[in-house]
Amino acid sequence: MGLPINKEHLKLGLRYIENKDFIYNLKVVRRTDMRVVHYLNQFFGGIGGEEFASTGVSSQEGAIGPGRLLQQLIDGESEVVNTIICGDNYAAENLDEITDFVVNSVREAKADLFVAGPCFEAGRYGVAAGAICAAVSAQVGIPVVTAMAEENPGVDLFRQEIYIIDSGANVGAMSEVLEKMAKILNKLKNHQEIGHPEEEGYIAQGIVRDEILEENAATRILDMIIAKTAGKSYKSELTQTAFEPIPAPPAVSDLTNATIAVVTDGGLVPKGNPDNMPPIAAEIWGSYDIASLDDLQSGDYDVQHRGYDNRHVLDDPDRLVPVDVLRELEEAGAIGKVYEEFLSTSGLANPIANSRRLGQEMAKKLKSAGVDAVILTST
Amino acid sequence: MKNLTSLITGFTKFALKPFNTRFKQLFENDPSIDRGYQVDITCVNEGGLAPMEATMELEIINHDIDNMVFGDSTVLSGKELAIDHDGLKEYLLEDRRLQDIDIQIAKPGESCRIGVVFDIIEPRAKEAGSGSDFPGLLGPFAVAGQGSTHVLRGSAVTVIDPSAVPGITSKVLEMQGEPASASPYGNLHHLVLSPKVLDDSPRHVVQNVLRMLSVKAAVYLGNAAQGKKSDQVEIYSQNENDNESREGIPRIAYIAQIHGHQMTVEEDEPILYGSNTEGMMPILLNPNEILDGALVASYWVMRVETYFYQNHPLIKELLSRHQSKEITFTGVIATVAASKETDRNRNCMLAASMAKSTLKADGVVLTKYGGGAPHVDMGETARLCEAMGMPTVVQVSDSSGDRKAESAMLFNYPEVDAVVYGGGGDTGWDVGTPERVIAGTPGVAKTLKDMKYIEGAALCGITNQQGASKIRATVY
Repeated sequence: MGLPINKEHLKLGLRYIENKDFIYNLKVVRRTDMRVVHYLNQFFGGIGGEEFASTGVSSQEGAIGPGRLLQQLIDGESEVVNTIICGDNYAAENLDEITDFVVNSVREAKADLFVAGPCFEAGRYGVAAGAICAAVSAQVGIPVVTAMAEENPGVDLFRQEIYIIDSGANVGAMSEVLEKMAKILNKLKNHQEIGHPEEEGYIAQGIVRDEILEENAATRILDMIIAKTAGKSYKSELTQTAFEPIPAPPAVSDLTNATIAVVTDGGLVPKGNPDNMPPIAAEIWGSYDIASLDDLQSGDYDVQHRGYDNRHVLDDPDRLVPVDVLRELEEAGAIGKVYEEFLSTSGLANPIANSRRLGQEMAKKLKSAGVDAVILTST
Repeated sequence: MKNLTSLITGFTKFALKPFNTRFKQLFENDPSIDRGYQVDITCVNEGGLAPMEATMELEIINHDIDNMVFGDSTVLSGKELAIDHDGLKEYLLEDRRLQDIDIQIAKPGESCRIGVVFDIIEPRAKEAGSGSDFPGLLGPFAVAGQGSTHVLRGSAVTVIDPSAVPGITSKVLEMQGEPASASPYGNLHHLVLSPKVLDDSPRHVVQNVLRMLSVKAAVYLGNAAQGKKSDQVEIYSQNENDNESREGIPRIAYIAQIHGHQMTVEEDEPILYGSNTEGMMPILLNPNEILDGALVASYWVMRVETYFYQNHPLIKELLSRHQSKEITFTGVIATVAASKETDRNRNCMLAASMAKSTLKADGVVLTKYGGGAPHVDMGETARLCEAMGMPTVVQVSDSSGDRKAESAMLFNYPEVDAVVYGGGGDTGWDVGTPERVIAGTPGVAKTLKDMKYIEGAALCGITNQQGASKIRATVY
């Protein structure tokens, strides 16, 4: 399976027709004759430029524009059976509708592969292509590919989920881009391993994999510092991920009437760990009643977190969740009220996506409970 | 504790030879002293401190070992090291905090699994009269990194932690197959010490016992090479630093975290010249000092063994590039990752300014210790160095639990843009049942025996953070 079979192979195969293994292979190869569905915007679909950007979605049999070359580049007897075209504005404004439409079309066409673009720098096109590819991949489960310039906003949104070929900004590079798209599709459909982004021409998905090298880290450190101090080019083994800045919320205008909650990622849980909080990369958070407590007692709590020396917290849990001091402030009228529960999770080595979800869930609960401000304690 | 303090104060007034014996006798005669605070005093300077040599030159005399056996006495003959099992045992049991100790030999290629490892040390001893073994910890204070040191290359003293908990597989040594070839420890002859410490000893006492016996055994073996010649001699000297011919060659400093205060250090936890590094601010070290016994691994370690300090891959690389005049290696600034913000800021500021003003570095390389949090100290120091005009390279460990690059970094400074990325998160090997397991307890032995798969991070020597690892995490 996976080898391209041509007519010579078929002739040869007739001599071995008795061989069941070969018949099996033959069947598999027949099935991999590729039916491709292709998504284009109004411009590449031949409808027109920006003035046609509000054109709704339509579907045509056969290949259009870039699809013609694409179907020749994919191995085997591949064919673009259906081309879906949609205006950029319409797609941007009706993304869910377009996505459903494309997913249904792909299913009806019994497509083996799905391609969107290339989109180059066109932002609305890129975002739509990315969203549609991600949906087809997730819902239909067939190989998908698109292509964009690295600056395209579709890249940051979908690079982790799908393969996005780096098309650059130059539309003149169309045929090279299509070649790379076809190459990666061929590998995907044959379940071959996809190589490093630089070899394959796709934009890094941000997935970490180990490689065993000849040179140890020390050699690489020295090579890099020598190049860097000499002003020569060097290649970092990890580039920083850009994160959206999170604006600080406005100050609490009146603390004397505010309800204050404590949230910690230091893993404080009641003795016995009732929610089975894991001590590393917790996927859950807990909320624990402190309504009747003025002071957290040693012995009533455990710490589920392996990343810091938690003896001080076990000695006095108020050092992590400062109920004692908050009660004093409450008493003195400096703050309105201490929220009746504290929220806790284990932040140790917690992946970003997971942390984001935990934070959102906690914020939602506290917001709906009327909490005005939160003290976050981290370890 | 009060008793002990008054005892020591009183004791120093009549400090007579032999200090060590007398101190022990006092303990023996005073049952009121909590056994947990007993200290194995070995580092004694008689007649005051010795001045440093005029030049910092270290001669490493390598003696290759290709066989390790038990014999009537501890002798190095050719490449075979014979060890007097009973003699060594008796010597180690002088530490009265020990109940018993099991001593075994594990050879490369043997179907043998060992764990949980407390530390691995290369057997070494200073040539008599030319310095002190593990000064400040075992031997008297003396600046390490000078004189001659015998090294039994190809062998190791490996100490098992008797307090390890069954069910957790970490710090394992595998002597056979792929994991053995992947680890720098797989091809060594190990003298494996599995001690039993007195019942109910506090954890820090257990750890102190392990630390002391590890260095004692390493020197005990190393002494077998006393007076012996070898044609495998390395000279570590940086006197070329003063040479004018180094003009135009970039001056590179190394800012090395030697500990991380993520975990509180113990009073009796020797790390640097016997110091537990509490309250430590950045200090300048000659690289030879680290190679020659000034530094041992702390009790709470991740991905480092003392063996790596003795053969520090990054220091050796810096020295080698110094030799080839690609760089001028200006020295090591040893620092610790802090647990308090004020300590962090102070340490980062002083380390960076020391690189700039004292070492006049053109560039700085940085490594970290321990787990996640020390990345922050390293990142901040590197950012400061960059801001002071010193380009940097840092080695980070992959922190992405979900194998996503977005979760990989624990600092985010655009200036710190040259990163060597150590991996290990998805490297591992299927393993079979070994014929022999050396462990501290039957429970741990069962855990080790039943292992079907060994993760790179659980195997000693694979995911080292000081330049040794060959595993790179690559972003796809």
